[in-house]
Amino acid sequence: MHPDSSTQSPPAVQDVSRSKKLQLLGILSGFAAGAWLGAAEAPTKLVAIGISPMVISLIMVVGVFLARWSLPALILGTSSVRADVRRAPHLVIWALLAGCLWAVANTLTIFAIRDIGLSIAFPLWNSNSLLGILWGFLFFNELRRAGGRRRAGVLGGALVMCLGATLLAIASSGHGPAAHSLHGVCAALGAGILWGAMYIPYRKAYLTGMNPLSFVTFFSFGELGMMTILSVSSLGLGPLWQELLSARSVIFWLMLGGFVWVIGDIFQQYAAKYAGISRGIPLSNSNQLWGLLWGILVFGELHGRNSSIYLEVIGGSLLMMLGVGAIALSSATGQEQTRWKEAAIRESNRYGVAADFVAARMDGRQLAGEVKPSRRVLDWLLVVAATSVFVIFAAMARVPQMSLHWAPAALLTAVLFLFLIVSGLALWRTTRFN
Amino acid sequence: MQPNTTRLASILTDIHFWVPVAVLLGGLLLLRFIR
Repeated sequence: MHPDSSTQSPPAVQDVSRSKKLQLLGILSGFAAGAWLGAAEAPTKLVAIGISPMVISLIMVVGVFLARWSLPALILGTSSVRADVRRAPHLVIWALLAGCLWAVANTLTIFAIRDIGLSIAFPLWNSNSLLGILWGFLFFNELRRAGGRRRAGVLGGALVMCLGATLLAIASSGHGPAAHSLHGVCAALGAGILWGAMYIPYRKAYLTGMNPLSFVTFFSFGELGMMTILSVSSLGLGPLWQELLSARSVIFWLMLGGFVWVIGDIFQQYAAKYAGISRGIPLSNSNQLWGLLWGILVFGELHGRNSSIYLEVIGGSLLMMLGVGAIALSSATGQEQTRWKEAAIRESNRYGVAADFVAARMDGRQLAGEVKPSRRVLDWLLVVAATSVFVIFAAMARVPQMSLHWAPAALLTAVLFLFLIVSGLALWRTTRFN
Repeated sequence: MQPNTTRLASILTDIHFWVPVAVLLGGLLLLRFIR
């Protein structure tokens, strides 16, 4: 905040200004999340070269695990994670549950991509934003006292997104064998429901003051544990090891996909924190558009298909984006935010978390007298260890034998980094990642 | 701060907890069906 504003403006004006700034920050984080989450799904296209979906998902989760421990250690230090857990230890269970949901959903998406393709599966599982709105409204007072125009913006946007998803489902029905199309649609919609439910623990954590960087650290145990159980029970330990050995030349690319996903997810966590799940999740689901761009421009999906399929996919995607736009323009007002605070008080009472801590963290600040987080030797060791693992697998990697278009891939990557720099700086300047 | 038993009871009696648990079980069944 500008020093003058804190000395000259009355507290109420400062509160309103801070609140608006955090809302904008949530919206910006949502768009950055969309770009990064969309890019992260591209490596799953490697399923086309014959690796088991379970193995792909497991390797991605290992990359996610490494990123979820090294990035928070690099940004704030693990001392801040320990401090958060001491204040709200119950959130560890919520984070583990969310991680399990993520692992199952991610595995379903890989089956969906295999059966109906990335550009069609993506919008279907992005129906999770509708559930985000539902859970936000039912459980966390979101959209309460929001006013008719804003509520219509969010609900109308959700309806338009439904129409878009339906159009894309119709397009998918003419693709591939009928049995696989059905499986693919079920897998994509199932992933959407799982991810929709995952936002309940997200919102729970942020209403109780947990830092997104702390939450994702424990989340990673849930997802790696669940993914390991799924892989071993599905393939058996011996065959799984053999598949991992045979996939060693592409392990780096899949782990990189997991790493990119974590960056998107961290932005999504900040979007859920500052804009709420009813708005933050649909915004981050603009990853559908990015997935479409990667699928069509880089991987040549839909190449050679008839023009009506193109029209259905593009029309459906545009409808979904229109819905996202309507939701983005319906940010929460002061009255609605009062209801959010009531939900936060309910949570802090239920779980015995200090109210002043919850209030400070909801406002993106540190508590008065709170020790500032710092990095220690352990943090640097974590960063070095994670980097070393990536370097080792990068040395084994070779470029998959697939038809890729490198020029659009370079352009999309440049846009990703632009989002990272702009949104990262905005988060740092406004909240210091609190 | 609450003792561990009270905290666990708070989680288990929270409806918000059981919705994601039920969805997770449904997701595992769906995965089994698709495989």
